[in-house]
Amino acid sequence: MKTNSVLIVDDEAIVRESIRDWLKDSGYDVATAESAEEALKMVAKKDYHVLVLDVRLPGKSGLTALKEIKAIHPDVKAVIITAYPSEETTAEARRLGALDCMIKPVNPEDLEKLIRDAVASIDKEADKKPAKKAAASKKSVVISKRSFKTLITSLLQDMEVVGVKGKKGKFIFDKINNFDELKMDYDLTPIPPTKYLFPAKETILKYDLSDFKKSTPVLDNAPRAIVGVHPYDIRAIEMLDEAFITANPDPNYIARRQNSLIIGVDCLNPSPKAFSPSMGTNVAEAGFDLLLTDIGDTYMVTVGSQKGADLLKKHAQVIEPTTDDIARQKMVRDEALTKYQLALDIPRERLPKLLEDAYDDPYWAERASTCLSCGSCVMVCPTCFCFDVQDDVSLNLKDGERTRLWDGCMLVDFAKVAGGENFRHDKTSRFHHRMYRKGKYVLERYGRMGCVGCGRCGTACLAEIASPVEAFNAIAESARAKQEAARAVETIRPEKELYAPMQAELVRVDNLAAKEKVFEIKLAGGKDLGQKPGQFVELSLFGLGEAPFGVASSPTRRGTFEIAVRNVGSLTNVSHNLKKGDTVGIRGPFGNGFPLKQFEGKDLLLIAGGTGIFPMRSLIQYVLDNRKLYGRVIVLYGARGPAERLFTDDLEGWKNNANLEFHETVDRGDAIWKGNVGVITTLIPKVQLDPKKTVAVIVGPPIMYRFVIVELKKRDIADENVIMSLERRMKCGVGKCGHCQMNGLYVCQEGPVFSLAQLRTVREAV
Amino acid sequence: MKPKVAFFDFTSCEGCQLDVLNLTGEELLDLLAGVEIVSFREAISRNDEDYDIAFIEGSISRDSEIPRLQKIRKQAKILVAMGACACIGGVNCLKNHLTMNEALTMVYGADAKQFDTIPARPINAVVPVDAYIRGCPAQTGEFAKLVKALLIGKKPETPSYPVCTECKMAGNICVYELGKTCIGPVTRAGCGAICVTGGRQCWGCRGLVDEPNINSQEEILKKYGLTPAQVVEKFKIYNTYSEVKK
Ligand SMILES: Cc1cc2nc3c(=O)[nH]c(=O)nc-3n(C[C@H](O)[C@H](O)[C@H](O)COP(=O)(O)OP(=O)(O)OC[C@H]3O[C@@H](n4cnc5c(N)ncnc54)[C@H](O)[C@@H]3O)c2cc1C
Ligand code: SF4
Ligand code: SF4
Ligand code: SF4
Ligand code: SF4
Ligand code: SF4
Ligand code: FES
Repeated sequence: MKTNSVLIVDDEAIVRESIRDWLKDSGYDVATAESAEEALKMVAKKDYHVLVLDVRLPGKSGLTALKEIKAIHPDVKAVIITAYPSEETTAEARRLGALDCMIKPVNPEDLEKLIRDAVASIDKEADKKPAKKAAASKKSVVISKRSFKTLITSLLQDMEVVGVKGKKGKFIFDKINNFDELKMDYDLTPIPPTKYLFPAKETILKYDLSDFKKSTPVLDNAPRAIVGVHPYDIRAIEMLDEAFITANPDPNYIARRQNSLIIGVDCLNPSPKAFSPSMGTNVAEAGFDLLLTDIGDTYMVTVGSQKGADLLKKHAQVIEPTTDDIARQKMVRDEALTKYQLALDIPRERLPKLLEDAYDDPYWAERASTCLSCGSCVMVCPTCFCFDVQDDVSLNLKDGERTRLWDGCMLVDFAKVAGGENFRHDKTSRFHHRMYRKGKYVLERYGRMGCVGCGRCGTACLAEIASPVEAFNAIAESARAKQEAARAVETIRPEKELYAPMQAELVRVDNLAAKEKVFEIKLAGGKDLGQKPGQFVELSLFGLGEAPFGVASSPTRRGTFEIAVRNVGSLTNVSHNLKKGDTVGIRGPFGNGFPLKQFEGKDLLLIAGGTGIFPMRSLIQYVLDNRKLYGRVIVLYGARGPAERLFTDDLEGWKNNANLEFHETVDRGDAIWKGNVGVITTLIPKVQLDPKKTVAVIVGPPIMYRFVIVELKKRDIADENVIMSLERRMKCGVGKCGHCQMNGLYVCQEGPVFSLAQLRTVREAV
Repeated sequence: MKPKVAFFDFTSCEGCQLDVLNLTGEELLDLLAGVEIVSFREAISRNDEDYDIAFIEGSISRDSEIPRLQKIRKQAKILVAMGACACIGGVNCLKNHLTMNEALTMVYGADAKQFDTIPARPINAVVPVDAYIRGCPAQTGEFAKLVKALLIGKKPETPSYPVCTECKMAGNICVYELGKTCIGPVTRAGCGAICVTGGRQCWGCRGLVDEPNINSQEEILKKYGLTPAQVVEKFKIYNTYSEVKK
């Protein structure tokens, strides 16, 4: 067969087809697929020499597809193409053996050249090792559990075997003396198995104080099998390899690493604090000698190295996996995925950028405040590798040794220099540094994730702040909020008229009482105000300012509207000098108004005290104009004295209106007054009420509310059905200036109308 | 010339001095080769007034002890506080929770009047201290480490991090995961977390770290079910003095 078949996998037709046409013209045998799933099916039927894979595909990603294809066809060549390049993608592509990671749009000539070279190299390799069986490693076989026992028992004869044991209901890595101690199904060990490659304390040098030449490096070359390593810990070992082996190869680490057999096992019951799938570390493709998956009575074993292959050959009976075995392995792995309780809310590729932008986020200081600087998080982390070096001489002061011990950036003195200066002297800077190591610095320096999502730190941290997934999600959330706000700023059109009043004309000015006047107002052009009863407007007088006033008329009375003003200060005083035909400014209507829908079909008990009649009048008019919508309508009105009664014409009209039950009282009577005397609360016991059907509305001076509420409670009216309009100092009317704020509420926005139920937790309300 | 070493005890059980003798014969010989012990009430009967390094054991809890300690300070080039009582006041400070009369009556009954007890305090509340050998009792290993440091001319150091760090290094399962509580997170390390390793928990015998996050530790203890009184109790055993001071 000619070496020239290419499979292009991309969900964008234009990309797929243009590459296909170009390669066909160059003489290749080209097929295309729109998704990873489709590609996998095609690969199962036919051998392709070169794959061109897009990363972002509708289902599985191109990288996942490559990983799966490589497992079956380790010699296949691949080129990754992506419109979203990142260091992570490139590193992952390279790790999976891709030839290159090209950025879209791809130059077809470059791609063709790459494929030509790849094809040539396949031919050359085939010439060189015609007989050698491809992929002795990365092969999957099946062994029985009994066979695994034999394998471990044999290993125990040859070397130290360490593995997972039970301890006080938890699991730890420790020396194994016989197979039965070994636990292969566990969630997490508090200390990772990396301790066998980089122990908590080890001697690196022995010396003689009197003879320099006698100093000798100390290495641990004892052969050791580490059994039951979960994939995330294998990935952590790969990270440590990167750190200890690159640049200055570390002799102590390498001695242990080279003399260790790593027998991994898939984690099927993850810890509640784990999030390795989010870090892409719940699977391991390399870094082990054997990797087991418990598929019931047998283990599916992935062979990761020649050492692993030899081990199986020597100690175990291997069986070729059936399609059933392969399906079962996939099933248990997929099921394990459903058991993770934590996940990153963003793709991990975005972490470095995210962290870069969040350097000064208040989150760091806030979360670090409870940090104990106890060091647990860095001591238990499989990817932490910082250490301290100490000298210890013997009591005779003749010889000694130099040791290295785990150290970490969360410890107070980690960055302290001679002279006492500490470059990370506060909890926040240390907490910050560790999180940046985990999500950014390590990745940038070593091309691997600095956190494998094992969940150990989250388990160990008593202050419950150490888990990177929590920090990263919090930062992502705050970045998202910031971004949204920024987007809004760019796209929102400002309301130009927000602070500019509308021109209006006073069409009537009437006296109501000694200090009260009513103004009938017409907006320029005869436009309707469009208010709801209970809303307010800002009356604007140039030179004086603005003040809020409830609208006193119903929207059902169209063409004009009314406000009534009590003279209490400068603006109100000047307003009282205004005459018919004068020009004023109006902004609004503002606020929520009365919940008219809630009133429908109900009996209404409307209670107004003093100037509270102003907004209430709007509601009464509205109700009378829509009388059919309501049950009984009872109006209670109270004034200080007969002379302070407001809108007296309306009061007389309501008294004689068969559609209303109207009751009135004055605090203090006079010679002429024949009606009720007493505060408004005295009227309430006189009315018959059906508590289930009644909604009460209260508007009046602040002092009135408390007493009226007490009376209503006696009548069993539910808090939801007690509606009040509150007055607060206001300036802007549009939820900006903050004057009207009542605990968390802005009265001009969420109010001024509230139900008692809403105000139950608002301590500043009544 | 070998430095002359003297040991003095104040209010304590003398458990710390005894622990020093827990060296093997060979180690003791090594030690004696490096220093000259001139005063050690437990081991030899000589009592010499000429010494360079003074090891002080016990806390100060009687008026009469103050001039005695000041006199030692004047003579010694290096003064070392040894054991929890000397370093942080230790268990002796428990009596500070009582009035002094109550304490006296409790301990000595009707004879109470004869004693001039004052609230117990660590050595450094009375005179400057050059080095500390922490723990209750002070450990042989740390004693040896300090002597070696002094002989070599190295600054004696105790860790600034808390017991948890060493507890993790020792590979322990945290007692909080096992339903118990511990003040290891705020206690100065150096012991290797021996109590947790031995199946118990840390009671803080080495004193608090320099910047203990007491609030956070208290919140954690409460979260794990301790009442405020029990939380106080946790700190009381060894850290009464620093807690009272704070
Ligand atoms: C939602 C709402 C509806 C209102 N409806 C009416 C109404 O229908 N009729 C009516 O006469 N009054 C009403 N008021 C009250 C009216 O807004 C104030 O009396 C007016 O602002 C006083 O302005 P001034 O310049 O005359 O008084 P100033 O000389 O400024 O001050 C006199 C008093 O009024 C208070 N006050 C000042 N500015 C405000 C302000 N922006 N908001 C509230 N209080 C203030 C001061 O604290 C002081 O006690 C309402 C207030 C609110 C919040
Ligand atoms: S940072 Fe935490 S979750 Fe991540 S690898 Fe380390 S211990 Fe595990
Ligand atoms: S700097 Fe901190 S986070 Fe990084 S390896 Fe060291 S201890 Fe771990
Ligand atoms: S983050 Fe948690 S585990 Fe880490 S030092 Fe702080 S308190 Fe300890
Ligand atoms: S047992 Fe105590 S000292 Fe050890 S890690 Fe837990 S809290 Fe820290
Ligand atoms: S673990 Fe705590 S109580 Fe035990 S010796 Fe260490 S500091 Fe003292
Ligand atoms: S009045 Fe300005 S925020 Fe409400």
